[in-house]
Amino acid sequence: MYLAPEGEELEIAAAAADFIADALPIERLHQGAGPDMGAELRASLGEMGWFALALPEGDGGSGLSAVEHALFFREVGRQCGPLDILVQALACLSTYDGGLRAALIAGEQGAALLVPDGMGHRLIGAADARYGLAVMHQGAALHDLAVAKIEPRPALDPANSLAIVNDPGPVIDSIEGAYIWQLGQVGVAAMLLGLAEAALDAIVEYAKVRETFGKPIGAWQAVRHACADMAVSNEGARAQLWYAATALKEGRGDAQAHLDAAKHLANEAALFATDATIQLHGGIGVTDEHNAHLLMKHAALLARLFGGRNELLASLLHAELED
Amino acid sequence: MDLRFSDEDLDFRARARDWLAANVPGTPRPAGGHAASQFDRDWQKKLYEHGWAGVAWPKDFGGMGLSGLQQVIWYEELSRAHAPAAHISTTYVAQMHAGPTIIARGTEEQKAYHLPRILSGEALWCQGFSEPNAGSDLAALRTSGRVEGDHIVVNGAKMWTTDAMHADWMELLIRTDPASQRHKGLTWLAFDMKTPGIDIKPIRTMLLDEHVNMVFFDEVRVPLSAVVGQLHGGWSTAMATLSFERGLGFIADQLELFEKVGRAVRLAGEMRGPDGLPLIEDVEVARKLAAIKAETMAIRAMTLADIAETDRTGMPGPKGSMMKLKVTATHKALTRLVSDILGWQFFEFDGNRDNNPWTHDFLWSWVFSIAGGSSEIQREITADRVLELPRSR
Repeated sequence: MYLAPEGEELEIAAAAADFIADALPIERLHQGAGPDMGAELRASLGEMGWFALALPEGDGGSGLSAVEHALFFREVGRQCGPLDILVQALACLSTYDGGLRAALIAGEQGAALLVPDGMGHRLIGAADARYGLAVMHQGAALHDLAVAKIEPRPALDPANSLAIVNDPGPVIDSIEGAYIWQLGQVGVAAMLLGLAEAALDAIVEYAKVRETFGKPIGAWQAVRHACADMAVSNEGARAQLWYAATALKEGRGDAQAHLDAAKHLANEAALFATDATIQLHGGIGVTDEHNAHLLMKHAALLARLFGGRNELLASLLHAELED
Repeated sequence: MDLRFSDEDLDFRARARDWLAANVPGTPRPAGGHAASQFDRDWQKKLYEHGWAGVAWPKDFGGMGLSGLQQVIWYEELSRAHAPAAHISTTYVAQMHAGPTIIARGTEEQKAYHLPRILSGEALWCQGFSEPNAGSDLAALRTSGRVEGDHIVVNGAKMWTTDAMHADWMELLIRTDPASQRHKGLTWLAFDMKTPGIDIKPIRTMLLDEHVNMVFFDEVRVPLSAVVGQLHGGWSTAMATLSFERGLGFIADQLELFEKVGRAVRLAGEMRGPDGLPLIEDVEVARKLAAIKAETMAIRAMTLADIAETDRTGMPGPKGSMMKLKVTATHKALTRLVSDILGWQFFEFDGNRDNNPWTHDFLWSWVFSIAGGSSEIQREITADRVLELPRSR
């Protein structure tokens, strides 16, 4: 029993942090970088093998697990990284032959997320993605978007493109089983955790240097106690995510319940921390030049995906747990 | 990361479960008074005689020398077996404060005298730290001790002393250097409650109970041999006590919440709303219950993470304060919600926790978030030690 990164997990987390901070720093969103990962970054992420951490070695992956997958996507979230990185990793679970999986693992072809919306779908991710992935609780459908009519919409969250797709085109592969949904939950929950941690780190650093009434604001209890509350909510989300990712790795019978709790707590932690960090920063917190709103907008989107509040709570209520 | 318990831990769980199934008392703990403390002594004696006493104590001092994770397992099995709860027992201060403090700072004589008596349930202890003007700010304490030859003469008053009337000993923190300020000049005494000159006055709380007390000291003579640690060095001794409590003292509360949520879900399945349907089918009740369940899962994960880390490093980290904040807030949310689920039954309360445990727990939720360091103090500790923010004081 051990519930924190250790050994090689720490090395992977450090390598992911370095790579993402260099390739995809949150500052890019202030410097004219567009949404999504883009073809160039997709190729370099693919080259490093980041999309296939949790895929068996025989299938072209790293043979690691949901735990390393979580550690990687926490770093993606910390830099407000786009969702299509995760969608690409999930699409790599496809067993469709003809070199498709190899192309996805290598980042040669892109995938974006299809989410049902009324009679049609929303597409989250690059409009030039070749594939659209619709993930449900018990499996996923991979659509070929080549002929789909994609109607771009202005996006609240500058990290991700948003579009309407009424007909996402032919299904070229069905991915059976709950694992793809579960790995999606781990990934989004980890991104939300990273966002929540970044939001807390930002205000803690600012509270040490910003002064009001002759003191750093971090010496005022109104600020200190709000930061402490953020720390508590982040700590709960982190511990539960490590528990859930490990439960998935170990194939425990109660993994789904732990994943639902982890996603719920990550939703709550990220929505709370990104709200509080704007408020505690004061005026600077509502400016476009600051990171706080980027984190808040990204958190609001991710909290809807792979289980929003109502859906998660409904499934959690009667779930049985093991020792 | 790894969720599997070792074979040794699994074996320990199986042995604990078997023994508890066969040995848990058939009658519930009396609600209060002498009968309750006698019940606690008897249960402690039984644990001691069968080798289950001192779960948190090193083997060298008669304890079981369990790892932190094995202690978690022990408390989980106590809860599962509906065994007497360690954290509401009159043995708590002896087991969790006084014993560990004497182990850490006591003389050989003090260890030889006190430790076996604590383990066997012969000696119950109470705590004499807080005062009318020194609660959260413990270092403001003023109860004085005047050194006269080989004695200390104590004058003053202690407050919030739980079960003082049943205790044989008190961990008593006083100011022995009259010129001293704040953390300096304090002394920690193993105080014999039979000493002449003390007066115990119960404080009736909003729970309608009289478990906590004021204890007055009027020219009370204590031998110097009762000093644990250094004379005038009591702050250091007291911190040894409190750091122990912050590390492991709330495990039982944390794990008990898990069981309470299960009870609340069953209750919501039985109680009906104005529309005649079970309340569990009310979407607001169901969502609130599920959200609280998620919090208790996080609390368990935080507990396991923190204790597994402490088992590796040998040092309790600063996360106990975050745990207490989350546990007390979740407990409060749960008891609020159940107050709605229970309907008019919630308003029936005679002061006996067994007659209406939910109403009792609702009232106790404020005690929980104030005693042992209020939530405001826990936020300060978190801001200082976890976030390393500039000091507020």
